[in-house]
Amino acid sequence: MSTETAVSVTAAPSKAIEFLKRPLVVALILIMALLALGEALSPGFASAEQILRLLVVASVMGIVAAGQNLVIIGGREGIDLSVGGIVSLAAILAGNVMNGADSGILPAILVAVSVGALFGLFNGLGITLLRIPPLVMTLGMLGVLQGLLVVIRNGIPSGRAAPALSQFVTQPFIFGLPGIIWLWIAIGLFMAFLLKRTVFGYRIYAIGSNEQAAFMAGVPVKTIRVGLFVLSGAFAALAGVCLLGYSGSSFSNVGEQYMLPSIIAVVLGGTPLAGGKGGYTGTMAGAVLLVILQSILTTVHIDESGRQMVFGATLLLLMLFYGRGRAMRG
Amino acid sequence: MSELLIRGARKAYGATLALRRGDLRLLPGEVHVLIGSNGSGKSTLCKIVAGSVKPDAGEVLLNGSPVTIVGPQAARALGIGIFYQELSLAARRTVAENICLPALPTKGSVFVDRAALEAKAARFIEAFADVAGDGFSADAPVHTLRADQRQLVEIMKALASEAPILIFDEPTSALDRAQVDRFFEILRRLKAEGRAIVFISHRMDEIFTIGDRVTVIRDGETVGTSKISETDQASVIRQMVGERDDPATPAVAPPAHQAQPSAVLSVAGLSGSGFRNVSFEVARGEILGFGGLHGQGQSAVMRSIFGALAHHAGTIALNGKQIAMKSPREAIAHGCAYVSGDRSRDGILQGRPILENVTPIHFLRNRLALVRPSSLRERAMQPLPALKTKFQGLEQPINSLSGGNQQKVVIARWLIDRPDVLLLDDPTKGIDLAAKTDLFALIRKLAENGMGIVLYSSEDAELLNNADRILVFNSGSVTRELTGADRTRYNLYHAAYEAA
Amino acid sequence: MQQTLTSPAANASPLKSVLQRFPFVPALIILIALVALNGFFQPRSLSFGSITGLFSTYLALMLLAVAQTYVVFSGDIDLSVGSIVSLVNVVIIVLMEKWGGGGLTVIAACLVGILTGLACGVANGIMIAGLRLQAIVATFATSIFFTGLALYVLPVAGTPAPEAYWMTYGGTYFGIPFVFYVVAAVAIVLGVLARMRLTTQMLAVGDDAMAAFQTGLPVTLIRIKGYVLCGLFSALAALCITGDTASGDPLVGGKMTLYSVAAVVLGGSALSGGAGTVTGSLIGALIIGLINSLVFFVGTPSEWQNLVQGLAILVALMAGILVSRGARA
Repeated sequence: MSTETAVSVTAAPSKAIEFLKRPLVVALILIMALLALGEALSPGFASAEQILRLLVVASVMGIVAAGQNLVIIGGREGIDLSVGGIVSLAAILAGNVMNGADSGILPAILVAVSVGALFGLFNGLGITLLRIPPLVMTLGMLGVLQGLLVVIRNGIPSGRAAPALSQFVTQPFIFGLPGIIWLWIAIGLFMAFLLKRTVFGYRIYAIGSNEQAAFMAGVPVKTIRVGLFVLSGAFAALAGVCLLGYSGSSFSNVGEQYMLPSIIAVVLGGTPLAGGKGGYTGTMAGAVLLVILQSILTTVHIDESGRQMVFGATLLLLMLFYGRGRAMRG
Repeated sequence: MSELLIRGARKAYGATLALRRGDLRLLPGEVHVLIGSNGSGKSTLCKIVAGSVKPDAGEVLLNGSPVTIVGPQAARALGIGIFYQELSLAARRTVAENICLPALPTKGSVFVDRAALEAKAARFIEAFADVAGDGFSADAPVHTLRADQRQLVEIMKALASEAPILIFDEPTSALDRAQVDRFFEILRRLKAEGRAIVFISHRMDEIFTIGDRVTVIRDGETVGTSKISETDQASVIRQMVGERDDPATPAVAPPAHQAQPSAVLSVAGLSGSGFRNVSFEVARGEILGFGGLHGQGQSAVMRSIFGALAHHAGTIALNGKQIAMKSPREAIAHGCAYVSGDRSRDGILQGRPILENVTPIHFLRNRLALVRPSSLRERAMQPLPALKTKFQGLEQPINSLSGGNQQKVVIARWLIDRPDVLLLDDPTKGIDLAAKTDLFALIRKLAENGMGIVLYSSEDAELLNNADRILVFNSGSVTRELTGADRTRYNLYHAAYEAA
Repeated sequence: MQQTLTSPAANASPLKSVLQRFPFVPALIILIALVALNGFFQPRSLSFGSITGLFSTYLALMLLAVAQTYVVFSGDIDLSVGSIVSLVNVVIIVLMEKWGGGGLTVIAACLVGILTGLACGVANGIMIAGLRLQAIVATFATSIFFTGLALYVLPVAGTPAPEAYWMTYGGTYFGIPFVFYVVAAVAIVLGVLARMRLTTQMLAVGDDAMAAFQTGLPVTLIRIKGYVLCGLFSALAALCITGDTASGDPLVGGKMTLYSVAAVVLGGSALSGGAGTVTGSLIGALIIGLINSLVFFVGTPSEWQNLVQGLAILVALMAGILVSRGARA
């Protein structure tokens, strides 16, 4: 017991410090710092077109993280590991449906997103009706999806992205920004509206913060939770379609690289895995932060091994800023 | 023989000051009662002594020499054992393992010595064997036990520390009378052995039965210590509430309210897990009390009416219309409201703003899909002042309020859209006297405006003072109805213990 | 969700009390059914040689499931176990090659490998229990770091293990294949661990960390020990996989992480901590192995095998959870 310590402990921390401690602000400051670092290491890193390219990559990650974010806010150890499989599946399905024809884009999106939502529905039903922990359910579903990918790859020829889709993702669309960035901004607005202005949004926080109390207050807990997983599946599928546009053709398991990073983006954005808190603005910043970090590491000339070590260590360092749990002895 | 002295203990959580200046002098061979309204800092003071809370300032002297308690382990080493109000049990471990968990008997300090563990646990289980009830055994996993039995395990765990200083933070809140009596016998024996015991309870009768000295804490500050033999309930309560209005409950005989004849809630032959064949009616404007020992089905009946607990027989009708009550949603939609005493489990949305804590019922009853913040805030502001809720703004997280104010926020959520029936399931558990007074005043007003109210309280005085009619529960059935002048403490006790 | 305030059944049914004491019984039943099915579709799969083959292939996953179990006991999770396997695999391969591949150097290399695993466990423990990072994301980050290290030690797969190593692992002594000696040794170690105070303490922490802290248990230290045990058994898993594949591969363990989690769940342990058995996890790992071989034996077309395996594991996971929850309720 410290008897003499901390006379000033109870002094209210100044507003400025509070502001600087907000995850979103931390993420933005880090983004700026990383951009400056990148520019110093390799001039041109922070050029407008380079930043745009980074944002395009980040938006795919950000769209996956949108669904992940909702699931995590919904609490009860909410997490969706199946997004990796859904992204891949959606990319393959969309590629086959459109197969290089612009007229096929809309049906392709419809098919991909419906299938993604369907798998989300399976997840949600398993988690709510059978009360399987989300980690286990979505992990099992990931195995199923990976198996399905093998079947599909063997059964049907791999498709191509329609030119208009590739253009939408990679070429300037309005005000010089590619369409996918506009799409991401629209999703950001949609998420803000969903979480702040709809009863559904209020209820997500309610079930995430205290499921039992929410139930006693008449919140349809199961329906909401199923909805979250459906949305997560749909967002992942949408990201898969975008990814198809980015790479031109679909190849196996493209989505796996999004599974855990989408969770990291959410955590770096200030949404704790415990649920009941957080929002999407921070997650968007978290996605950008992750992508810039990866990009800097590819810019500097070090081995793959060094790159991975630095990336892992940096992630740990970043987490020290945010996701730390409370001390037992408060 | 240990003498403990705490001076100027202070603890703040963020901007909230939980303990301003805690002083306590604990002597060997005494039961020292710590009393104060909820949120006054009693538990914080105890946890500082037990090492689970780190104080910001203050000193602790053990037998005259200053000590530093760096954690629960250190506290144990210094000879301090504690009963935690919120219990510190591992639900999936057995009763015996839990009792011995702080210091598992080992072979070679690596392997668990099962035989020694069971022998040690058996000694403490033995002491409560005849009052612990069904299903209580050394190898029962704790999660299979009832609330009172879990509390007994926590008591045994504290006793097993064999510490010269023992702290009991509300150890009796779920116990029945026989269990409390047994516990007090043990306390007296420990006292005779020269142990120093801190005892916290909200029940005045217990305090005056077992206590030697009493220290009153108000708003995080020690107000004073006096000998139990030289004080009385009234002066203790005066010390607890300070300059504020006398919060003493209204006259023992409440005014017989003119109940309107129409029954707003009728329950017939209701049976389910923990209760059977319960029938009653509540008229508009009436406060119906549920009495009896703790856990005799009162709470289960309410939760069943509210749709949170299944019933397998019987009918529930609101305003004469029979309703299945399959879920709280259905109950709420038909104008039923339920306030649980376990607010951290059933009530508050931790970490969320007051606004979000007040509005869920409003959303449901008006079938809203979109939120219009300005009008929503306006509605949320209506019921809060009526309950004299103290808060800074609707964006304030509910956790930053005191227990009583949290409960007021939870009650406020039901009052934006008036329900017809209000079920109060021990609503004042763990909240301070002033808040209780505010609550009961409001409840009476709601009844006068035509609401039908069912009130269960674990404090007999609250029932007697506020209920117009009392149904006494025993083993899941209503065994007696007390009306008019029959509502006396004697009758209530008598009916509760009948055949028990 | 619905909460009864009344007394739960005072006398649980005998079936329930069996399940409470031996939560792996449902897994065992699934295992026996799978063995029977395997025998039905391919009688030779029950031959001594096939069973030896099954163990030498899946011993690594069994040990990795054990590793995962010790963190799951205290309510944690470790998504870096696969990368620890990879790291230890390349470390011993490179050392054995460097030191010449003789009998003693093999043992020395194995010891260094085990120390590597322990070090990884300590690092994870400090990150998660000491610095209070969220286990899922923090161990994902450390897994990236460990993978980087593995790539640094051995950038491309392919270096073969010395003959002395894999011959021993695949060999037969006194008529009994080496893997069964390993199985026996592991069984003894696990039996000893189960009786240790640490196991009870880990389960108590997983049950309710705050309660355990208030009880006076050194919660942080206990959780760190869990991660250290996890690192140890991950290293042992790496030794086995090296014996099976007989070569170094910096990515060999990557796919195993999620299987180890699945095996723990199949074995009836609760991911939320506080309830479970190591025996169950061993059975869980064998179930995954047997599902894979059954899918092959029933003649599933090769492109459908992954899907059928995935579905079967998902169904087994769900069934296992439903049964063990029924037992605990």
